Amino acid sequence: MQKLGDFKLPHFFNYPPYFTLQPVRDTREKQVQLWKDLILDYCRTQKIFVIGLEEDFALFSNPVIERSLSHEAREAFLSALVSEGRAEWLDKGHRKCLILWHRVQDWADIIFRFVKDNGLEDSVMTVEEIRSGIESRGTELHGIDRTILMRALRVLEQKGKLAIFKGTSADDEGVKFSM
Amino acid sequence: MRRRPGIGGLQTAAAARDQYRLVGENVAKIRTDMMKEQLATFRTQLEEFARKHKNDIRKNPAFRSQFHKMCAKVGVDPLASNKGFWAELLGIGDFYYELGVQIVEICLATRPHNGGLINLQELCILLRQRKSDREAVSEDDCLRAISKLKVLGSGFEVISVGKKKLVRSVPTELNKDHNEILELAQAQGFVTVEEVERRLSWTSGRAIDALDTLLDEGLAMIDDGHRDRKRRYWFPCVSSNSTPVADT
Repeated sequence: MQKLGDFKLPHFFNYPPYFTLQPVRDTREKQVQLWKDLILDYCRTQKIFVIGLEEDFALFSNPVIERSLSHEAREAFLSALVSEGRAEWLDKGHRKCLILWHRVQDWADIIFRFVKDNGLEDSVMTVEEIRSGIESRGTELHGIDRTILMRALRVLEQKGKLAIFKGTSADDEGVKFSM
Repeated sequence: MRRRPGIGGLQTAAAARDQYRLVGENVAKIRTDMMKEQLATFRTQLEEFARKHKNDIRKNPAFRSQFHKMCAKVGVDPLASNKGFWAELLGIGDFYYELGVQIVEICLATRPHNGGLINLQELCILLRQRKSDREAVSEDDCLRAISKLKVLGSGFEVISVGKKKLVRSVPTELNKDHNEILELAQAQGFVTVEEVERRLSWTSGRAIDALDTLLDEGLAMIDDGHRDRKRRYWFPCVSSNSTPVADT
């Protein structure tokens, strides 16, 4: 099986026709499903949160078989993820896509457990500390995309589990947990 | 017998003919009886054999295949019914029944990818992957299980395309034009319109028609990504394991 770094690529990635958008409906559905799963899997294992359609994303081409996904194909597969709530367009031009390999609610649950596991129920942290502080190391929160983190925090804020406030420096916001 | 002249002689000749005929019939009857007896003996010996080698038959595909051939020679079909001596003794009915179920499952699972047509070799590989801890499965076993599946009705047929055997699990009928394209595709896993026209001496219309039908049936996929800009029609059912070598 071909690998991309540590990641094992599925068989279809080496079959040229899968790099062309299929015209026949049933075949297309199967194709889209395979690509959706691959994109989510890959992003989750490589901790990739944003895909730029015009950039060199590793999955968009396979040099071994000399095939690349057209812009139309890239947009089709990512749009399918957006439809399912597993991704969001960051711009109207559909050039950048935020990948939710964990849904926002899942991230909120992860933050909740993180706070409990580290005994931070009544403490205060900056947003940056949550994603890169010592406690975050070795957890899924480490290196999380800020946009996604803020969304998840706001979900918890709505449930009264924490409060977000502006920090003293212009840079960072803080979070007061009350779980 | 020396012929004697006169009426007496004629009567003797007639009597002699009758006698020969009777003997002739008797001989035929004796031969048939002998054969029946031989067959019965053979069957008994076959049953003994099956009893003694039950394990080998279950575990060894080559042995199993030979056993089937022997059975066929004496007119015994161990798979004819799930009940009765053979099925009970060998549990062979179950073996093929289970195999049939797995074949159906695999065909259904791969249908979105190959349109309902799968290479017999690939089918066997997938079957063996499922059965890794149990008995081995040969192509011969697959063919037998599939012939039992035909009873289920539509689909489930083994067709020959060129040197390969394909298992069809959908009612799609392939006509001669489609078959020829599939055979052509076996070389590299794909064809181009131009290649079909050239190698089969067809008009462009005929080639495109056939290819479009195969595309619509889900048996083919298009590939527009080659640097030579020619559209390729790939056929998952003729590629083994669908991991073809890149064509340059």
